[in-house]
This record gives sequence, structure tokens and C-alpha cells, in this order.
Amino acid sequence: MSLLKVEGLGKSYTSDIKILKNINFEIKAGEFVSIIGPSGAGKSTMLRCMNRMVEFNEGKIIFNNNDVGSLNKKELRKLRTSIGMVFQHYNLVPRLTVIENVLHGRFGYKTTMQGILGRYTEEEKERAFYLLEKLGIHEHAYKRCDQLSGGQQQRVGICRALIQEPKLVLCDEPIASLDPSSSKIIMDHLKSISTEMGITCLVNLHQVEVAQNYSDRIIGLNKGEIVFSGTSSELSEEQINKIYGTETKDLIMA
Amino acid sequence: MEATYIRRKNDGRINIRSGNKVDQVVRWTLILLTILTIVAFIFFNYAGLDLGSAITETANNLKVMFLEPALSHFNWGEATYQVGVTLGLAFLATIIGAIIAFFLSLMAATNLSNVWVSRIVRVFVAIIRAVPTVLWVLIFAIAAGLGSEAAILGMLFHSIAYLVKAFSEAFEEVDKGIFEALQATGANWWHIVKSGVLPSTFTYLLSWVFLRFEINFGVAVAMGAAAGAGGIGFDLFMASSFYFDLREVGFITYAILIIAFILEGFSTRLKSRYFPATSD
Ligand SMILES: Nc1ncnc2c1ncn2[C@@H]1O[C@H](COP(=O)(O)OP(=O)(O)OP(=O)(O)O)[C@@H](O)[C@H]1O
Ligand SMILES: [Mg+2]
Repeated sequence: MSLLKVEGLGKSYTSDIKILKNINFEIKAGEFVSIIGPSGAGKSTMLRCMNRMVEFNEGKIIFNNNDVGSLNKKELRKLRTSIGMVFQHYNLVPRLTVIENVLHGRFGYKTTMQGILGRYTEEEKERAFYLLEKLGIHEHAYKRCDQLSGGQQQRVGICRALIQEPKLVLCDEPIASLDPSSSKIIMDHLKSISTEMGITCLVNLHQVEVAQNYSDRIIGLNKGEIVFSGTSSELSEEQINKIYGTETKDLIMA
Repeated sequence: MEATYIRRKNDGRINIRSGNKVDQVVRWTLILLTILTIVAFIFFNYAGLDLGSAITETANNLKVMFLEPALSHFNWGEATYQVGVTLGLAFLATIIGAIIAFFLSLMAATNLSNVWVSRIVRVFVAIIRAVPTVLWVLIFAIAAGLGSEAAILGMLFHSIAYLVKAFSEAFEEVDKGIFEALQATGANWWHIVKSGVLPSTFTYLLSWVFLRFEINFGVAVAMGAAAGAGGIGFDLFMASSFYFDLREVGFITYAILIIAFILEGFSTRLKSRYFPATSD
């Protein structure tokens, strides 16, 4: 049984250019799937179609037996609670503390009033600290987010996604602004989310080797079309050339 | 062959201005203002003006005003009370204005509101802002009669318009990524305002409110005189135009100056204590 099923997905921002063309794939629960492809291929756009941060024009997305395209506003909010999201620039509220930022992940479960008054249950707060500890940043819980390093901020971002109790986590280039050692920490955490917690991860990546090391499956995107879909070992040099439209020796390998 | 995208001045040096309309408009505005100023001075009526005695007498008046300040028509207690009235007027107009402006500016900010709602609020507010506060007070005086009610309403009106512009611009500076991240968690609009927009902009909002309070204090003094709103402004008006008591005018001016200094010091301290982040 697949958790996420995409059929004939198509997207265009303007009438003249189609950014995504006839995208089809399926992802099982707990899978770790990377999307690679050159800049402008439509990776970010595709990722954002999954929780309708971007509205798609054609095709169908079935997530957890829900037809994502047909949901109304309220149902969409509910859907988004079960899909966490992690961003390249972390997108935390810089002036708030780490713990406050983590708890923002609970908004999807709150009424307007509860949210405005900042009412969180003791269980939610315990859970937030548990997650911070798991990602090794519990000492910083009361620091403002802008006092943290990039790698630490990204871990806060992951905590915020995890406290949603998601079934799927979408990551848009989670390590593109980080140094190699912080990148490794973040990728290891994401991997353990999928293996230990059984949460599906769909990750946009720029580094082919990182994708090969961590993914169960890799999807290669070029000019809005899937040109490769398979395991890391199936991703040959020839396939990489096809995805990036260059010779491998011309790519900087991370 | 020289690349065509490099623009050069006539003497061959590379131009780093885009040479767009804005530059042109700014230059012509400055030239026009200079000409207007010169022309205005030429057309003044100088008949009966003895520049020498005018200057010495003004200096003499200023000396009496500021070196020999004294109270004659009312006492210290009364003066303090009247300053309190003026501060009260300014305070009421600012606080009520800030609250209303906050909600209106949520509607005016393009990243928080629908395009049309935002446009309508902006136009509306721009019109209100274009009319000076004093005029609004006089307009409200038609309905409410001259007095503190009209003064507060007028000041309120203009404060709202001013703060809506300032607030909504602060809201629009909020990082798009914050909106995206909060929306992706399933947060609704109010959640985003409370937890994303407000914490990111609160110190700016507060500075604008303080600035407006200082403006409103000045306006409240003027309104005391012009619209009979009471307070220290009215006493100033009486002392200067009714009793011609320069010493009292001097005293009141000092009182207003001291209040202004206190306000300034207070706002600076408040900010550095509660919002150390703004000082960076
Ligand atoms: N809001 C938008 N309006 C119009 N066009 C857009 C918008 N967002 C993205 N695009 C276009 O869609 C195409 C794909 O963009 P997208 O951000 O999905 O690429 P990407 O694969 O994530 O690239 P990168 O690796 O550089 O992040 C680009 O050509 C971009 O110009
Ligand atoms: Mg992208």
C-alpha cells in the first residue's frame, strides 16, 4: 500500500511554460526518496505540490487515501498537519526561542483562540523537549533562534516538522546552506527519522553522492520530467549525465 | 569591441546610475524648489520692515521669554495638571489609534491580505493622511463642537492613517519563508499573525507608536490653542495672544521641552531594556 501516489501531475505558473509534465511515482510508508536534478528542473515546485503550497493544474495526488487536489481549505489544513516540511533557509521565526519555534508545529491541531493565546498542553511541551534532546539541541531550548548556527537551526526545523506527528516529511534542499559536517548530522537525523520512526522522507538534494548514500530510491528530474527512477546502485554515470545533461566529469562531486 | 551593456558618460567614464526616471524627477524637484524659494523672497512685502530693529527686538523678546521664565496667571500645580491634560489627549489618541491601526494594517499589508482589500485600505488611508491633523480636528469640531472630543477624534484619525502605513510596511518586510513554514504546519491566518508576524515586527511597531506619541503630544499642544482642547496648549495660547505675557510663554515652552525630553528618554530606556535586539 503506497502512502503517496502521484499520477500525471502537471504544473505551469504561466500559460506558455509547463514546469512539470506528466509526473508519475509512488512512495511507500517509511521510504527515503531523494529528488535530484539541475537548477530550475522543478524540484521545489514538485515538492510543494504534495501539500498544495503550490496549486497544481493537472493530474492527481493521493496522500494517505486522500485526494489532495479536491480538499477544501479546512481539510487542507488537516492534511498539512500530517506532512512536515523542512527548508533550505530553515524559516524559523528568528526572534522567538527554540522551544517556541518547535511548538509552532502544533498549530495545525489548534483552534484560532488556542493558537493566539499560545496554549500548549504539557504533553506537547514534553514532546518538544524530547525531540530537541533526540536531535541534540536541548541545551539551546531557551535561546533565541537567531543565536544558533545554521546546523542547529536546521535541527530546530526538523523538530518543528516532527512535532506535527507527520507521516511524510518534505525537505527542500535541507543541507544546501550547511558545511559538510553539519550536513552529515542533518542527513543522519533525516535517515533515522525514516528508519526508526517509519516516517517517509521526500528530499530535494543537489549532491548526487549524498543522495546515493542515504536514499532507498532516487528520482531524477530534468526540465519538469522524470528521467530516472531507481535505487542508488541503478544510478549509473550515464543516468547522471541524462539527469544533468552534462558529462559527469564536468560536475563538481561533493 | 566595447560591451554595449556598460553605460558611459559623455567624457567616457563609466556610469553607475541607472539614469532612470526617479533620478530625473528628484533633480527637477530640487531645481524647482530652489527657484520657488528665491521667487518667494523677491515677492515678499518688505514695506515698513526695519531689519535692524526687528532683529534686536526679537532678540529682546527671546531673552525675556527664555532667560526670565515665570508663572503669573496660574500656579505650579495648575501647570502640572494642564500638562497632564495635554499628555492625556496625546496618549488616548495614540493608544486607541495604534489598536485600530494594527487591525487595519493587517488588511493593508499585501502579504497578509487580499489584493483588493489592501488597495482599498491603502487609498483610504492615503487620503486621510493627505489632510493635516489640524484640519481633521476642525472637521470633527463641526459635529462635536470645539473641544477635547473633536481634538481627540481628529488626532486619532490622523494617527490611524499614519500608523497603518508604518505598520503595514513593517509587516511586508517579514520573511516570506516564515509564512511558508507556518502555512505548511497547517497554521491558519491568525496563528501566522500572532506567532510569525507579531514577534518579528513588535519592536518596530512599538517605535512607531512612540514616535507617533511624540508627534501627538506636539499636536495636542497646538490643538489646545487652536481648537480649545484645553491643556497646556490653551494656557500657552492665552499667555501669548491674550495676556502678552512673554515670561509665561517662556515657562510653558520649557515645561513642554522637559516633557519632550522625558518622553524621549523613557522610550529609549524602554526599548533597550525589553528589546535589546533592536539596538543592534
Ligand atoms: N512562483 C513562481 N512563479 C513563476 N515561475 C516560477 C515560480 N516558482 C518557480 N518558478 C519557475 O519554475 C521553474 C522551476 O523552479 P523550481 O524552484 O521548482 O526549481 P528547482 O528545481 O527547485 O531549482 P533549484 O535547484 O535552483 O532550487 C523555474 O524555471 C522557475 O523560474
Ligand atoms: Mg529549489
